[in-house]
Amino acid sequence: MRSLLIRIFTSFWSIIVITIVAAGALGYAYAERARATMQNFEISDAMLEASEALREDGREGLTEWLRSLPGITASLVYVLDDRGSDLLERRLPPPVQIAMRRFGGPRFRRPPPREFGNLRPARPFTQLIGPDNHVYTFFVLPPQGNVARWLFERGGLGIVFLALLISAAVSYLLARAISQPIRRFRESAVAIANGDLGTRVTDRVGKRRDEIGLLAQDFDRMANELQRAWLRQTELTRNVSHELRSPLARLRVALELARRKTGDLPEYDKIDAETGRLDELIGQILEFSRLDSETHEERTLINLDELIRPVVEDVRYEHDRAGSKARIAFDSGSGAEVRGYANALRSGVENVLRNAMQHGGDDGEVQVRLRAEPSHAVITIVDQGGGVAEDELDRIFEPFYRSKKGRRESRTGSGLGLAIAARAIAMNNGTVMASNDAAGLRVAIRLPLADP
Amino acid sequence: MNSQLPDAKILIIDDDRELGEMLKEFLAPDHFELSACLSGEDGLQELQEGDYELLILDIMLPGASGIDVLKQLRQSSDIPVIMLTARGDDVDRILGLEFGADDYISKPFNPRELLARIKAILRRSGPASSRGQHATVGALELDVRARRVTAEGESIRLTGTEFELLRCLAESPGEVVSKDDLSRHALGRRYMPYDRSIDTHISNVRRKLADAGVSSPSIQSQRGVGYCLLVDDNTV
Repeated sequence: MRSLLIRIFTSFWSIIVITIVAAGALGYAYAERARATMQNFEISDAMLEASEALREDGREGLTEWLRSLPGITASLVYVLDDRGSDLLERRLPPPVQIAMRRFGGPRFRRPPPREFGNLRPARPFTQLIGPDNHVYTFFVLPPQGNVARWLFERGGLGIVFLALLISAAVSYLLARAISQPIRRFRESAVAIANGDLGTRVTDRVGKRRDEIGLLAQDFDRMANELQRAWLRQTELTRNVSHELRSPLARLRVALELARRKTGDLPEYDKIDAETGRLDELIGQILEFSRLDSETHEERTLINLDELIRPVVEDVRYEHDRAGSKARIAFDSGSGAEVRGYANALRSGVENVLRNAMQHGGDDGEVQVRLRAEPSHAVITIVDQGGGVAEDELDRIFEPFYRSKKGRRESRTGSGLGLAIAARAIAMNNGTVMASNDAAGLRVAIRLPLADP
Repeated sequence: MNSQLPDAKILIIDDDRELGEMLKEFLAPDHFELSACLSGEDGLQELQEGDYELLILDIMLPGASGIDVLKQLRQSSDIPVIMLTARGDDVDRILGLEFGADDYISKPFNPRELLARIKAILRRSGPASSRGQHATVGALELDVRARRVTAEGESIRLTGTEFELLRCLAESPGEVVSKDDLSRHALGRRYMPYDRSIDTHISNVRRKLADAGVSSPSIQSQRGVGYCLLVDDNTV
């Protein structure tokens, strides 16, 4: 985001700097021309004309001559009478004043001018004595427009520096005025992507009537729609769950009533079991679809050891109760911490573990290991169930995919466990990979460690 | 199973009328008289009028949600509540337990399981057992008969389940009681995997003790094992 600010800023500023340089160059060219004219002036016939004019018409003639000089030259030539005033009543520029003090002599009845720093005095070009015995002194200003001299001797550097500073400030403000709202937009978009659907951008960029203000309004309308769609979706999922469960609940009660009236029949147990399976399936579909939208959970700092331990205990307990001889060994050598959604992560680990217990052989051992690498925590869950075919290693994470082996064994998994796990782990910016180990399937979950 | 139990009146708040009818039939042989309300508002009204001993509350209600009903109910009544929740909807379940439900069962439930839980809770909240009537632990006094807890004369309101958990821990201060034992005592059932109800109830008790300014005894958790009640030596 900084780069946009910098790009706009440099664009504007370089345009301004180019403009300043171009203006300087133009001025320089103009001054060069003036200098050239002045050099010609020295050797021209102008002075002859001047003395002629003075001789014939006295002071008026000389004034007339001065007035008739071409523009550039006229601004550089000053003719002073012996009282020290210019014939055209112009204010005397500093160089002339200095020159006057140095060369003007006692004829001038003016106080000596103050110092003018390192300014160059004007050249006293010549003096003419008129018919009225007055002395007229000609001054020619030193050639101007030497940019370097202007810069370094006449305070021009400060002016240039000030101009650059002001233009930089203006460019920066302009660039920020554009990039700031874009930053706000981005923050809002990120917030929405992270699940904070209530984020609105109008509050952040403020009330504006320009294009940015309109964009903010449109953005917010989009966010509104998104939020409504999300709410509808959640509502729908809940309703479906509710609507499917109600008949199942009635079915189970009806079944028990029937059992009472007719006595136990083996088919009743079958119906009961299938009802339970349907229920579990609905639960898993819900969990799977909820992982997409479940963002109201806060990201927290999670100690993986503390997260995994109870899951292992629960699964172990569940299998002990079911009379299974399968064992779980938990080997934790790490206090690794990650930042993420604890419920989703727990569900992810649990589903991988349950899958391993289910397919790991009836008296096999499932090994759960937690290790920390420099930037990642790695949870590996290895069973002894013989693994799956190589070409199925990726597919087992697809919803409702059943490995050939799983189908042969006609196990009763929903087919969603590993899909839930993959999604839950992806939500936590982790990856999950399956590979075949010596005795069975190895599932490795990698999660980026939290910044210390 | 327990022949001394008199007919108990139970209310179910669930928008499924048929389910209510069938449950009524199912529970009748065990001397439970079930009435059904289809909405939370009706249910709260009915609870005030009838002398019910237990409430079965569906969390997924149209209109005011079950959680809201529970919140309102707990302002005035300590009647035992069994929630019906959707399987896997941990948020509702934990919210419900936090707001004072005694137990939950996921819907669709096995009605025999529901019956067992009703019995467990009613037996628990029936006449007090012959065990010690009074217990004093640290700053707490437990009146088992009246199911009342007081700290320095101030009474602390606990739900039935919370009281039972505290009593169970108070019987052996300093010793760790497993979650399975706690579950059997307080809920009348075995500890189930993935079940966080004991933890939620315990954290409710902790919070209520803390709100009452009780720092000793305190409930310590032994991760993966259970809980124990620790009495600060200075105050014994």
